[in-house]
Amino acid sequence: MPLSVSLSIEGDTTVIELTGELDAKTAPDFHQTIEKAAGHGTSTVEIRMAGVGYMASAGLRSLVFAQQKVADHVTIKVVGAIEPVSRTIRTAGLDRSILLADD
Amino acid sequence: MSDVVELARKPAVLEVPATLGALGEIAAFVLRLAARAGLGTGATYRIRLAVDELATNIVMHGYRGGEGRITVLGRSGPDGVRIVIEDTAPAFDPVAGRLPPAPGVPPERRRVGGLGIHLALTSVDAYTYARRDGRNISTLTVKAEGTDACPPRP
Repeated sequence: MPLSVSLSIEGDTTVIELTGELDAKTAPDFHQTIEKAAGHGTSTVEIRMAGVGYMASAGLRSLVFAQQKVADHVTIKVVGAIEPVSRTIRTAGLDRSILLADD
Repeated sequence: MSDVVELARKPAVLEVPATLGALGEIAAFVLRLAARAGLGTGATYRIRLAVDELATNIVMHGYRGGEGRITVLGRSGPDGVRIVIEDTAPAFDPVAGRLPPAPGVPPERRRVGGLGIHLALTSVDAYTYARRDGRNISTLTVKAEGTDACPPRP
């Protein structure tokens, strides 16, 4: 299942926008983008997920990787995730360290 | 469980190579069965997630990148969907290999391996594992009734 990943900078925020499905086959693309985003040195990394209709644990692994790659003071924000996706994030306990926002 | 969930007698069968490239085909197979059973959006998502996680685990850890096959059998009925996943990788009981999340552990030390299985097992209404004739056999059931309710946080 395809996943499209885009990366941009808006002020002091690095924005990653994902569209499609995030599973073990497609997550490596997300992983690579996180690596680039971490190098930007902005104070926030915003991951826009409104276009993600499905996320497996491979996506969670990418989010943990993101936390490990960025500096301590960098905020990681997941924006617009549909309910089952945000539930998956909460199930993993990642909502304690990643900000989950509606929009 | 067969007295609770009324399902078609003859299962639909999908056999695929154990590769990440086959995950999409497995997902499409599960989604067709869920649609046939009339599952709600939430229940459809949960059965897909559970099968996807178990299949991914078989590819990545069961066969360890080596050659192998995964057989998926599915039955749908007015009461829900039951999926059986079979592989011939070394014996592995997902219930024993489950790793519940550890929110108290800082991100840099957090392991995500095993969490996929935890997600799978908490997504379905019933799960059983058996090792028979050199095969791992996982049976997952999602009921149609009330399946859109969010299961309790583990």
